[in-house]
Amino acid sequence: MSCSKSVVLSCAGIGSRLGLGLTKALLKINGRSLISLQLEQFSEVEDLRIVVGFQAKSIIEEVLSIRKDVTFIFNHLYFETKTGASFYLGAKDARDEIIEWDGDLLVHPDDVKTILNTEGEFICYSDITSDGAVFCKTDENGNVLAFSRENGDYEWTGPACIKKEHLTYSSNNVYNIFERVLPMKGMKIRAYDIDTYNDYKRVSEIIKNW
Amino acid sequence: MKFLFDLDGTITSQETLPVIARLGNLSDKIDQLTRETIQGNVPFIESFIQRVNILKDIPVSLISDSLSRIPLYREVCDFIDNHRENCVVVTGNLSCWCEGLFAKIGCKNFSSEALVENDAVVKLKSILRKETIVELYQAQGEKVVFVGDGNNDLEAMRLADISIAAGLTHNPANSLFSITDYMVFNETALCRVLNQLC
Repeated sequence: MSCSKSVVLSCAGIGSRLGLGLTKALLKINGRSLISLQLEQFSEVEDLRIVVGFQAKSIIEEVLSIRKDVTFIFNHLYFETKTGASFYLGAKDARDEIIEWDGDLLVHPDDVKTILNTEGEFICYSDITSDGAVFCKTDENGNVLAFSRENGDYEWTGPACIKKEHLTYSSNNVYNIFERVLPMKGMKIRAYDIDTYNDYKRVSEIIKNW
Repeated sequence: MKFLFDLDGTITSQETLPVIARLGNLSDKIDQLTRETIQGNVPFIESFIQRVNILKDIPVSLISDSLSRIPLYREVCDFIDNHRENCVVVTGNLSCWCEGLFAKIGCKNFSSEALVENDAVVKLKSILRKETIVELYQAQGEKVVFVGDGNNDLEAMRLADISIAAGLTHNPANSLFSITDYMVFNETALCRVLNQLC
């Protein structure tokens, strides 16, 4: 079944916290680039929109070696802005419902299928595993009530889905766009960010069992 | 909203210049000029003037007839058909060479002009700067989308409200990577974006 929503994959950043001088999309995980692992999971997504900035040309070449029908969107201000700006640029002309997906996020394949087939708006979160995480505060039904830098029930990882009518601009983080439309349905998933070298090593081990 | 399209390699799935050059057995000269232009050794306007000078003796009717049979991107043409009033072809190519092709595409067009006598180009009358057409429509209050692929689309794309670099026939020029809003590599993706912008 093809996914009727647009998926915006944000790959514009410079990956400064990882410190490998390489955009995270091209990071090799167990011999394959991160973006190639994600593209495999998006095979049923018709409107795949990849936001590029740092090392755009190299990312585009890598994507085109896998599929040609992708729309690339340029965030030329990738050095000054964060994922909120990239998501906005990728989403503003997209379909009525848009799933944001960070370029440094790997999600368990079973959960990817659930996410792509879930209707309406939602926010995904995971068990808390990262240092310096942003947290989600939830109610008894798992709905997201707030984001917090201090504490919360789960770790905000994304992906998240928003209706275009609720989309607003932020040069900051993508969760700053979603916190304007809370509360929102929450979904617990198995997802891992790759922000630091330790994350990179950890995720490389975890996905061997997927 | 107005959708402005480059012609060569964006609507046509084959570049027109090599086709014209072959008609006059002038491929070597034109290929060399194209290489020098792409490498940045010859500025675009100078290259265009030289190009017309090399090709000017080939019968205009022969060129127009040949170009009218050049293959087109079907989905792109379908989009133009469905939005005929709002689509415009903007090409640096000479109008006398493209008459047959323009008739086939069927929407409004802007191009460079030449004086034609006895079925041959006598002299260039005007060279189209594509950005002036963007300005023309913006002055009428239109939001302008520009679809292009080459260095000669750069200023028009920079000025347009929304720019789409289309790598359908060849990769978009390097210069477009620093100004374009969107980049696509097949006509399905291009037409999806165009329909989303409507």
